[in-house]
Amino acid sequence: MRLFGLFMLIFVMWIMILMVSYFLIFIIGPLHINVFYNSTDRLISSIIKASLAIGLVIVLILLLGTLKTKYLQKTLKRN
Amino acid sequence: MLSPLDIALYGIIVSAISFLIIYFMTPYLIKYLNKKGRVVVDYHKPGKPNVPRPAGPVLLIGIVMSEILLYFLILDAKIISVLLTTIVAFIVGYIDDMKTMPGWFKPAALILAAVPIIIIGSHGNYLGLIFDNAFIPILYILLILSIIPIVGNTINSIDVFNGVATGFIIITMIPLLVSVTVFGNTNVLLIGLPLLFGSIALYQYHKFPSKIFLGDSGTLLLGSMYASLSIVGNSEIIGLIALLPAVMNSFLFLSSVKKIVEHREVKTRPVTIRNDFRLVASKDKSAPATLVRLILAKGPLSEQEIIVRIFILAIFSSILAFISIAIQYSFMVGKISL
Repeated sequence: MRLFGLFMLIFVMWIMILMVSYFLIFIIGPLHINVFYNSTDRLISSIIKASLAIGLVIVLILLLGTLKTKYLQKTLKRN
Repeated sequence: MLSPLDIALYGIIVSAISFLIIYFMTPYLIKYLNKKGRVVVDYHKPGKPNVPRPAGPVLLIGIVMSEILLYFLILDAKIISVLLTTIVAFIVGYIDDMKTMPGWFKPAALILAAVPIIIIGSHGNYLGLIFDNAFIPILYILLILSIIPIVGNTINSIDVFNGVATGFIIITMIPLLVSVTVFGNTNVLLIGLPLLFGSIALYQYHKFPSKIFLGDSGTLLLGSMYASLSIVGNSEIIGLIALLPAVMNSFLFLSSVKKIVEHREVKTRPVTIRNDFRLVASKDKSAPATLVRLILAKGPLSEQEIIVRIFILAIFSSILAFISIAIQYSFMVGKISL
């Protein structure tokens, strides 16, 4: 089936979105860092959480980039 | 809160207005554009016919008229924010239709289109992330400012063949409208209906062989309105999943070209046309990796065959969006917990 490879590529992208959502909700979301034991800790925690979330999305984008390059090169070589 | 009967009645009215205006006005716009010589060459067909462009104005009129009427029926400020976003995106696209602007213009100018949503405050502070909602009030503003330009340009970049942009929006609007009804409210469903039915009307002229091209004004309008609906309907991730093939296309293009450029500025074409008008993927490593190049990687295809395959991919991603809605709903009502 001609589109099977692309179906798989989209499916993998979907799984990766679900995984990132899972990490954001269950791992990064509940994270709380105590440094000064006052209201500043909330701000520090929020900054760290936001940075981790943005970092995670960047990792996702890089992984997708690698995935598509491999898929394209492999398919073009085979045909 | 509207009763189911009101929702059905208002839904039929705004859908019909949008559909009828666009369906009956487009032939006049085609005639006008042909008369004024505002045509572009369709390189993918024998004889390379001239096709009028842009269809954006007629799409805007149909949607604006039905949304204004809807505003007087339900008095929801969300309508104004979606409408202003759509109008700003249309203006950005129309400027690009009239005068060739540099590659950075559209994404940068589309940031302005996101401003009405933020100023009117039609967005929530929670981002629906399938398993739960994330409370990100400040980050969410930045997200809105990036979603509108990204989705606008995503729909713009997939509009490479006859009927693809309108057909793609028709298919992917279905999971989005279901999602905004489940996770947003029925008002957002009503706001979205003119876009769906307007696209269906325009598809009759945009489908293969195209009698009119959308132009940047049409594609940016479609993409920005889709994005604003997903924001005001708390369905950003569902919208992203439904758009995956188009997102993949713009992402593939960007990651291989490494900068924001207009398609016409790209030196190495991702696909070439053979004498029999079938398209073939470029083997050149420096050519941008686009969705069409991926589809053609297994061998040449005609324009119509490529269009069908893009729609099949849109149906596949829409199915994944429906599965995501089911998962998110199950977590929301507590049927599943981790």
